[in-house]
Formats: sequence, C-alpha cells, structure tokens
Amino acid sequence: MSTLANDSGSRMNRFADRNFKYLVIAPAVLILLLFGIFPLVYTLLVSFQNINMMETDTSFSGLLQYRQLFSDIRLWESLGHTLLIVAIALPIELIAGLMMALLFLDRMPGRQIFVALLVLPTMIAPIVAGATWRLLFDNRFGPINQVLGWITGEPQAILWTIRPEYVYPAIFIAEVWQWTPFMFLILLAAMSNVDTSLTEAAEIDGASRLRIFFKIMLPAIWSVMTIALLIRGLDLFRIFDVIWALTQGGPGTKTETISIYAYIQGFRQFETSYTAAMAFLVIFLLTIAVMFALKRMEFVR
Amino acid sequence: MKTLISLVAGAALIATATAARAQSAADRAVEAAKKYAGSEISIVWEAGLQSLDPLNFSGPKWEELTGIKVKVIEVPTSEMFTKILQEHRAGTGAYDALNVIPSWMPDLVNAGALEELDAYVDKYGYRAELDSIAPTYRDNQMKVDGKIYGFPDDGDLFILYYRKDLFEDPANMAEFKAKHGYDLAAPVTWEQYADIGQFFTDKFAPKIYGAGQFRQPAYGIWMFEERFRNTGGKFFDADTMRATVNGDIGVAAFEGMRNDNKFMPPGVESWGFVEALSAFLAGDIAMTISWPPFGRWAAGYGTDDSALSWVPKTTIADKVGYALPPGGSPQLAAGFSLSVSSSSPDKEAAYLFIQWLNSEEISLQRVQLPYALRDPFRESHFTNPEYLSRWKDAPAYLKTLRAGADSGLLDLSILQIDKYEEVLRQATSRLWGGEDSQAILNDVATQWDALTDRIGVDKQRAAYTDWASKPNAYPN
Amino acid sequence: MSAAAARRRLSRRRAWRLAFRYLAAVALTVVFLFPIYWLFSISLKTPDEIFASPPAWYPASIQFDNFKVLFKDGDATTVWNSLFIAGTSTALAMFLGTLCAYSLARFKTGGDNLAIWIISQRMIPPIVVVFPLFLLYVWLGWVDTYHGLILLYTAFNLPYVIWMMRGYIEDIPIELEESALVDGCTRWQVLVKVVFPMARTGLFATAVFTFVFAWNDFIFALVMTRSEVTTYPVQVTHYFGGQSNFWAKIAAMSVLGAAPVFVAVAFLQRYLVRGISMGAVKG
Repeated sequence: MSTLANDSGSRMNRFADRNFKYLVIAPAVLILLLFGIFPLVYTLLVSFQNINMMETDTSFSGLLQYRQLFSDIRLWESLGHTLLIVAIALPIELIAGLMMALLFLDRMPGRQIFVALLVLPTMIAPIVAGATWRLLFDNRFGPINQVLGWITGEPQAILWTIRPEYVYPAIFIAEVWQWTPFMFLILLAAMSNVDTSLTEAAEIDGASRLRIFFKIMLPAIWSVMTIALLIRGLDLFRIFDVIWALTQGGPGTKTETISIYAYIQGFRQFETSYTAAMAFLVIFLLTIAVMFALKRMEFVR
Repeated sequence: MKTLISLVAGAALIATATAARAQSAADRAVEAAKKYAGSEISIVWEAGLQSLDPLNFSGPKWEELTGIKVKVIEVPTSEMFTKILQEHRAGTGAYDALNVIPSWMPDLVNAGALEELDAYVDKYGYRAELDSIAPTYRDNQMKVDGKIYGFPDDGDLFILYYRKDLFEDPANMAEFKAKHGYDLAAPVTWEQYADIGQFFTDKFAPKIYGAGQFRQPAYGIWMFEERFRNTGGKFFDADTMRATVNGDIGVAAFEGMRNDNKFMPPGVESWGFVEALSAFLAGDIAMTISWPPFGRWAAGYGTDDSALSWVPKTTIADKVGYALPPGGSPQLAAGFSLSVSSSSPDKEAAYLFIQWLNSEEISLQRVQLPYALRDPFRESHFTNPEYLSRWKDAPAYLKTLRAGADSGLLDLSILQIDKYEEVLRQATSRLWGGEDSQAILNDVATQWDALTDRIGVDKQRAAYTDWASKPNAYPN
Repeated sequence: MSAAAARRRLSRRRAWRLAFRYLAAVALTVVFLFPIYWLFSISLKTPDEIFASPPAWYPASIQFDNFKVLFKDGDATTVWNSLFIAGTSTALAMFLGTLCAYSLARFKTGGDNLAIWIISQRMIPPIVVVFPLFLLYVWLGWVDTYHGLILLYTAFNLPYVIWMMRGYIEDIPIELEESALVDGCTRWQVLVKVVFPMARTGLFATAVFTFVFAWNDFIFALVMTRSEVTTYPVQVTHYFGGQSNFWAKIAAMSVLGAAPVFVAVAFLQRYLVRGISMGAVKG
C-alpha cells in the first residue's frame, strides 16, 4: 500500500501536511479516550473488589471474582449459546445480504422505494422488534400459527417462545429479519462503487456471472465486506433485545446469551464486581478472536 | 363571672384542641408543607397507566394546595429497583419520594437507600391513620426490623373471577353435580378448580374454556408461591435454612400447574396480563385469577376513560362473580409502598407528600379514579358508600377484596430475594418446556441453598425468621 | 458472432434478468415488510381489533386516534428528541470518524494497535459500562441533558464509523489521490475534492446505520436520563406495563419513529447510484 509523503507550500502548510495524519485522528481519539478510559479503569478496579448488592467492600480481593468465573457453568453455557447464535446467524445474514445487494445493484424502476423499504427492519427499535415478533409468534394474537394452520390443514399451536425445540428457530428468524438489511445496504454501497466498465467488458466477453462475481466484484469489496462481518459479528455477540423480548433466556437458561446473563447479574442483582470480571473475560476472548480474524483477513487478501 | 369566663375559655381551648386533633393527617401534611412552597420534589412512579395518578390528579392537586411542584419520574417496573439503587449508589440525590414493591424493602433498607420514617410519623401525627390501613398490608408491608420504611399504598392481591352466569345455569349445575357429586360453585380447592375447568372445557371448547390465566414465567413466582403455601408447603426449614420446596407438596404444585394448562386455551403458557384480560372480557374463559383491576374493568367501570381506551370492551358486565383463589389465601402479589429516598435533599417535603397521598381522605379518592391501578387497602375503602355504588356487584367485589386482605399471603421477602425469584422464574419456564417437575425443583432447592450459603446462613435465617413471623407469611 | 449480435444477445439476457429481478424484489419486500405491516396496522386498529383472536389482518377502517393521543399527551415530542440527539451525534461521528478513517487507511497511523483499540470499544457489553459512565456523568453534571447523550452516542459510534469508512476508503484506488497531489492539491483539498465524493456511497451507508444505532439505543438513554430528556425507545418501554400493554401506542410510536429515517433513506438514495466510471475521471 502506498503512502502519501508529499508536501508543498508554506511552513504552516508543511506542518499541517506533515502532521496531517495525526491532526486528523486527534479529535476522534480524544473523545474515545474520554469515554473509553474511565469506564475501563473503573471496571478493572471493581473486578478486583467485592462489590455486590449488599456490600460495597472496596478492599482488594485479588482474583476472587476471576476464580469464580471458571467454576460458573452458567457463564460458559451462555458463551456457548452466544457462539452458536453468531455461527449460524452471521453466514445467513452475509449470504442473504450479498444476494440482495446483487439483486439491486443494477438500475430498475422503483429501486429507490424497494431499497428504502427493505432497510426498514433495522429502523424499528430492537425492543419493539422483539415485542412484535413475540406478537407474531403468539398463539392467540399472531398470524404465524394461523398461516401454518392454513398450510397444513389443521390448527397449529406451536409455542415458539416456550418449547425448547422452537425457541432457537424463532430467535434466528427474528434476528436475521432485522439485520440482514444491514449487510444488504453496506454491501450495496460497496458494490455500487465498483467500476462498471470492468464488469461490462467481462460480460460482453461471455464470462459467467459467477466468475464475474468472484474474480472482479468480491476483491473490490473485500475490505468493506470483512469489516461489516466483523462489526456484525461483534454485535451478534452482544445480542440482547430480541432474545429478551422472546424468551428472556428461557426455557430455563437454554437461550441465555452472555449479554442476558450480564444483564441479570449486573443490572438486576447488582453483582457489580462479578459482572466486571465477566466483562474482562469477554473483552479478552473477543480481542483474541478479532486479532485472529484480522490476521486471516489480511493474509487472504 | 370569673368562673364563667374561665369555663368558656376552657371550653374554647378544648374545642380548638379537639378540632386540631380532628384535623386530618392530610390537612396536617398540607399545612406543614406550605413552608416549602415554590420548591420541587420528585417521585419515582411506575411508568404508564399508574403514573396517570400523580400526573393528572395528585400532583396538580398537591401543587394547588401547597405550592410545591411534583416532578413525576416514570420508570418501567422492571427497571425501578435498578434505577433506585443506581442513583443511590452514585449519591445523586435526584429522587425524593419513591414507590417501592414491598418485597424489595429488606434489600433496599440493607443498602441504605430508604429513609426511616418513624420520627416523621410521630411529628406529624400519622400513627392513627396508619393503623386504619387493612391489617395485612399494615402489618406486613410497612416495616423492616420493626422500623417504618414505607406506607402501603396498593391493595394488590389475586382474586378468582368466574362467570356467574355459567355457574348458575341450571343445565350446567345438573350436569356437573351428576358428574362430580358436589355442587357447582367457585372452587375452594385446586382439585375442584381442575374439575370445574375440565368440565367447562369439555362442554364448551373451543368457544369457551374452563379457565385461563397469565402463565408467563414472570408470573410463575406468584402462582407457585400461592399454590405451594395453600397446600401446606414451607419454603425453608427454619432451623437449617435449607430449602424445602422440592418435597411432595412442591412437586404436586408444579404438576398441578402443568396439568391445569390442559383445559386452558392452547398457548396459555405465553399469556401475559393483557392476553388473560382480553380473553376474559371477551367471554372466552370461565375462570381466571388476577389482580383487582380485572374486576373493575370486567364490570365496565372506568373503561370509558380515554386512558383505558386500550382495554377491550367488556362483554360480561354483570356476569362476573368474585371469590378467593383455591385454598382461600390469595397471594398479595407485588403491591406498592410509598417511601422516601435516604439521599434526598428534601426529605421532609417528600415525606409530607407521601403522608398526604396515603392519608384516609386522599387515598379514598385515588383508589376510585377510573384509570386507577391502586386497589383498596384501607378499611374505609372497603366500606365506602360511594365505592359500593359504583356498579351492581361492587359490594360483592369489595367484600371479596376485604376477605382477601385478611387471609392474604405475603410475597416471600428475604435478602437478595430477586435472585431466589429468578430461580423460580427459570423453573417455571422449564416446567412449560416439558422437563420433569421433581428434577426442576431439586435444582431450585440446590440453587436456593447455594444462594443462602453465599449470602450467609445466619444473616438469611434472621431475615427469614423475621418474615415468617409475620401473620400473613403462611396460612394459619 | 458479430458485435451487434453479441449486444442483442446481451440485451435479451438483460430483459429476462430484469423481469426475474422484479419478481424477486417484490417477494423479498413482502416477506421483510410483513412484520412491519403487522406492527403499523396495529396503530390503525381499534382496541377490540387489537385483541381479536384469531387476529385481524387489517383494520376494518382507518382511524388515526392512536396517533392523536400521542400528540395530545406529548409523547410524540420524544421522537423529536431522538431525532435531534441522533442526528447531531451522527453528524459529529461521521465527520470526525471519516477523517480518522482516512488517516488509518492511507497512513496506517498507529498501526494495528490503534485500530484494534478502536474496535475494542465495541466489544464491551454496554450493561457493564453503563454504571461507570453514569458516575462520570454525575460528576460532570451531564445526566439528563441533551449534550450528554449526543456526546455519548458520538463516542459509541466513532469506532463503527472509523472502521467502516476505513474499509470503503481502502477499496478506492489510490491513484486518484496521488494524481491530485501531483497536481498541487493540499491534503485537505484531496480529502474534500476527491475522497469524499468517491466514498459517498460508503458515507451514505455508514451514516444510515450510525443514525440507527443512536436512534435505537435504550440502555444508555434509560440510565442517563430521568425526566427532562426522554428518547423514543425509552418512551416506548413505558408502554409495556406489568398490568397494561399499550400496543396501540407502541405501534403508533414505532410508525412515528421509523418515518424520519425511512424518508431520509428514500431521498438520499441517489448516493447509491453506481459509481463514476474510472475512465471518466482519468480523462
């Protein structure tokens, strides 16, 4: 990758130019520092103390909280559930998003309306989206069981949010519905930037659409696509609203993700120190995952 | 002459003194609060329908009387505990008066978030009117460790509502008697409840089902605590402080709950408050167990108010009978008490506001607001002529509420009760999920014991003994 | 095959493709929009229709009472609050973030470490950070204020903007900027005249979701506000009561809440038009 190491003009300009790259990141980094450092330091300190609902014991408790993490089965189960959700929802959203972007890439009448409509799911507040799906899946007030009944010819009373065999499908449906448009719009924007003369030339030469996609399109949007995957993956890891609205982590703790567990522990039960330790565990694991992913991204490219 | 003058003066003195003592607690609060005119106090209240009370009625009225502005801070119930404790921990002093659910009070007191109120109660002579609160609420939802921390302000309890017309129909009565050998009437045991529920479902489904209820796991706590105790269960062994919910009684309760679902409409496990309400008002279910507002709205009281426009129109007005749930000891589910935040900079003004709100005079008006979610909690509420005339069956309604207020059962309230309740909530969702009842309850007991150990067995035993010694902890 | 015949064949293929694409577009829209239709139709239903079982698929008559109530009670102003807060924080985040992204993309400033530190902000479960930030805000006096929330959302969206725009910028061939510099432009002019126009599809897509993230946030708005500043997601949760469920209000508020973004996306779509051909610029 090339760098831009050119300067010209007055001494002031030369200073601004030479330090351009630092000046330009300064405001953003400063804001991030202000909001990032204090909570992180606080959380770190707290994780070494023993604060919960009943006590504000701020004496140093060493690795008490961290040791507890390792024997907490519920924590590791919730991490497992979270990984399951990421592993299944992310590819679905990527592939569906890619296909939708390809569909709308070229001109067509009314495209503006279609695209605007298709982005609507992401604009519904997640709590409301979750509640809406709960309503849709509801046996009394929802149309889904009704439609299933029409298709199969006999009344269906599937308890989507209660029975263990249906809760995950329900969650995936609601989640993919809400966030596929995210991948769709981002990829559409990236693909729109690709030089059309290349793809047109290849088409005239008779290349199949598949070849055009993999040889021309994909490399051109690679950066954006991998970053979108990374962002979406991190967000999926923190999934909360949709699951809370549908099952609250139930039945039992079968659909409890790390965010739900952290919410119950930290918000409802004020296990401040323990949640802080959990947070660092999560940050630690995610950092490793992200670094690993980044290395692979650069390598493949 | 002198004697006459002194007699007259003496009489006048006595008259004024009596008049002063006869001055109501509400008036005293108003008088004392006038010196804070021009200031503003904040009160945390449940968001939505509940908040209409301070927003539309009590807040403006208080301001009119005392010149103190009331800022209502609406918080969804599920976040109230969190926000109160967070603001307290951060020492912001942003909240002056509070609404708290009584079962939270031990934890909040332990965390130092609530102000002790005894001194204020004596200063403003509120003891008398506190005593006239119905005993169940007065003796159980006011004090922690013998000190006053809140004024019970809401007579929440579970009532069994049933379709009188179906129960009194001669054909139904004859068939039922023939089938089961006893008269068709509001069930007094859970076996009868199942018999009756199944009977109506067999006869009328899918038009009408025998019963329906809010069965979501969040309500599981109350459903289980009520049924378990009514059938003789005890939560803990008071000596060892080990959980005893996984014995035969517990398993029978869980199994009973699951079996009852069979005669309820399909999907009832996911019903919340509004599903049950709409089903009952539409006439789809013959019995339901719920809080007092069901009764008022089923009778059509207040549902013309724009605030209640979301309530489906009742099709069963005048057809509703009221009874205590099977076992006769209803759960005093949730409820609200008024408290003062210990970090408030305006404690006295906040105290005077809640005294006024909770007083005989004002609370009577508040429980009769058409959009009110506050249920009768004072003796005078149950016998008030105006209330009794609100709808045809209001006397029966108030009579049942009064009976429930006598025999009602407190929500379990020990240290960190939220964690124990979380375990029960999950247990209920596992029950609906189809797992074995004994296995689930064994897990509940194990988790409860682990919690007790973590909190400290002695500390928890003290809290439990304090709770269990209350007259309404277990049925007598 | 002659060039003319090849082009005819191409346009026939295109016609079929267009028909198929149209069908697919309609089918997709129906599937994706059904839940939204359901939600929005509740806002037009009467209470009896809302609680009808089996459910009513469409309101018997269109009535706007549910909306009128929101305006009368002042709930609708929360939509305006959210619009203001989310809009301002989006503008700030987009501006500062894109500048930062450019530096990262072209100069690799701070290397991998800075980039990873920036994205690590998004790894932290918000639940955990909320209370310390609340403490910070109490100390700063920013609780329950507009600027408090605006800055908070800016900070939380910066990592997203920086990383997304870095990607879009990296996908732009660098030759254009190099030739502009050779022509005598300063760095800043290169940014404004070359990079921003070339990246406008990326700017648009990133801005949409930056706005959406700020718009839809619940947990921070819940903790950082009390009564002065109420955002629309917090207002909506007031409608989910323990003993009440104002579905009509929930639905009507959601319509009001989705409308501004929908309108913006529909109108700003010209930025999604397929990019300028490289040939045109080089010439």
